[in-house]
Amino acid sequence: MKKIIALTWKDLKIFLKDRGGVILIFVQPFMFILIITYALSDVFSAGDHPVHILAVNQDTGTQGAALLDQLEDMKAFSVETSWEGNDLTIQKVERLIIEGKRTFAVIFPPNFSIVLEQGLGTRERLTTKVLLIVDPNTTNQIAEPVLGTIQGLLERAAYTAMMPKGMGDLFTHLGDSTSTTKSGSPRTGLEEKGGRGRVEKQEPAVTVERIAPTGMQGRKLPDVYQQNVPGYTIYGIFWIVNLLAVSVLREKREGTFRRLLVAPMSRTIMLIGKWMPYYLINIIQIAIMLGVSSLLFKMSLGHSAGGLIIVSLAAAAAATGLGVLVASLARTEAQISGLTVLLLLTLSVLGGCFIPRFIMPEWLRTVGLVTPHAWALDAFQDLLVRGYNFWEVLPKVGVLGAFAVIFFGIGVWRFRFE
Amino acid sequence: MSSSIIELKNVVKRFGGRVAVNCVDLSVQDGEIFGLLGPNGAGKTTIISLLATLLVPDDGEITICGFNLRQEARRVRPLIGFVPQEMGLYPTLSAWDNLAFFGRVYGLHGSNLRERVTNVLGLVGLSERASDPVQTFSGGMKRRLNIAAGLVHKPRILFLDEPTVGVDPQSRNFIFEHVERLNEEGITIVYTTHYMEEVERICDRVAIMDQGRFLALDTTIGLVNRLGAGVIYLGLPRASSEPLLPDVRVLSQVLTATEEKGRLKIETRNARLALLELIELCNARNVSILSLEMLEPTLESVFLHLTGKRLRD
Repeated sequence: MKKIIALTWKDLKIFLKDRGGVILIFVQPFMFILIITYALSDVFSAGDHPVHILAVNQDTGTQGAALLDQLEDMKAFSVETSWEGNDLTIQKVERLIIEGKRTFAVIFPPNFSIVLEQGLGTRERLTTKVLLIVDPNTTNQIAEPVLGTIQGLLERAAYTAMMPKGMGDLFTHLGDSTSTTKSGSPRTGLEEKGGRGRVEKQEPAVTVERIAPTGMQGRKLPDVYQQNVPGYTIYGIFWIVNLLAVSVLREKREGTFRRLLVAPMSRTIMLIGKWMPYYLINIIQIAIMLGVSSLLFKMSLGHSAGGLIIVSLAAAAAATGLGVLVASLARTEAQISGLTVLLLLTLSVLGGCFIPRFIMPEWLRTVGLVTPHAWALDAFQDLLVRGYNFWEVLPKVGVLGAFAVIFFGIGVWRFRFE
Repeated sequence: MSSSIIELKNVVKRFGGRVAVNCVDLSVQDGEIFGLLGPNGAGKTTIISLLATLLVPDDGEITICGFNLRQEARRVRPLIGFVPQEMGLYPTLSAWDNLAFFGRVYGLHGSNLRERVTNVLGLVGLSERASDPVQTFSGGMKRRLNIAAGLVHKPRILFLDEPTVGVDPQSRNFIFEHVERLNEEGITIVYTTHYMEEVERICDRVAIMDQGRFLALDTTIGLVNRLGAGVIYLGLPRASSEPLLPDVRVLSQVLTATEEKGRLKIETRNARLALLELIELCNARNVSILSLEMLEPTLESVFLHLTGKRLRD
């Protein structure tokens, strides 16, 4: 143990003397968070790919189906009413969102057409809700356009449905027909009733309510920091790959490994001693990123300190494991630089560190699952945004652990001390 | 000198199809300074790597302090110090931090560690630069610190692999003095070099190596005596050398004469008198002398005599 401590302490000292390395590892990802978050906070959008919307149409009339057709006709959306050949249910769409396979689902109630088509002068006015189930880990910049689109279609549907009742009634009462509420930021919309020069309040007949799936405890929507900080933290910690691999290469080149191999110490101890300091650096890195973000941006860290710790430990293990793997494969600093940039940028993008994975094409989302970044990011967001507890993130921790074991396994197998 | 501390029996080491060490037998006595002399690629570093447990022989056995390296390398490692050819140091750490780290690796700690680091820094004359980063040191200072790092745990045997490469003459002398002082303290030293003068100055015995084999193993005086009183290489026209060979062999000052690469190689009883006899013979036979080289009996000429090439080829 003393030898591991000696090796660890020595490498930490070397690391701290390399100011460029310290800046790279701590400041660079933070600069990314600040710059890109601010730069994109107003323009973050879903991109060119159609947004998949799951639909459960319980409507006994025709209005729900017509509205879904209109949604499908818009190039920006792809409506899915079945999954793997089976019709969707509310439970099924919630499960798909919880599993991260989809982000949005719209539920039309059984009385949707009846409510929409009721006469404006009806004595006992019927009301109903269209539910928009949204993954809480979705920024407002992405969720709002979807919500706005559905709301717009509803308004038009209401207009069309009431047309036979007469234009007079329509102009008098159109404003009553639709409105939207959502938890956290209610939309008042057309809440005023116009008529004879006076304004009268009336509840809208159809409202759209934005909710999270039942299985997710977190109802609070993520802010821009909760979206970006975990992403760039994951991106940042994986840069340890470069530091670790270069350090190993220098030990080989400068003959210090040769000297250590002559010492009364096993190669396993040497490797653990070489890996340990970078693992600690990763843990400190995550603590600083999340801690500073919490203090500076008042970002919520969720409710599970134990969960944060175990996810951080697993993510750092995967990152440093990849470092050992790259160190075992690369023979020169140029190879390390090339391999690191290629691997880290590719894995970060695929893993959703820069762009949320749900707006990517489905095949790319599937590919993303083979990156540790995707699992680490999802685990952090489960804690920060969805309010998961320690036990609920363990499956994702397990996957990260498996990545670490595979990386280490291949790395140790291929590792050459000279 | 007493019992044997290092034994090599029929040791072979191959790298792919290349035989780097070929059936080497060696016995190094406790307390001696043993030199491995040979050109680059002769197999010196491979032998020292085998002795330092960095490599495992493909055939043969190596014993150090009675422990077989194949089975008991872990018991040997605390007993040996290794000074690699390259600087095995961390350039951004101070001299003190480097030595303290290597000391900890060998299990030293606390006051014992501080005492040893202080001692070896003093031994190599770097006490005043203890807290300076190694990257600010001159080449000679780095070499001295490199040696100190191999000594910090007080080894019984020290392996020095070309410790003076790239070192100025002053630092080289400094290193020689330290090696001699360490030897006086009882440390057995195995020293590889391709500098003849280093071997002549500090080694008790020398093995001359080339192409993975020991060509000769003796004291420096013993090796020089092998050359007798000197060797003459006589270059003659191709048509004349072979007919002249029988007459050369019967000259009074000639011990042996052979034809080698178009030249006559003549070992002599007295090089200068033999030269006079050879010139007279060539004049009498009307054979012109194309080249003439006379080797005085030195280690350099012994090496040339044994390998057919100069040490720094």
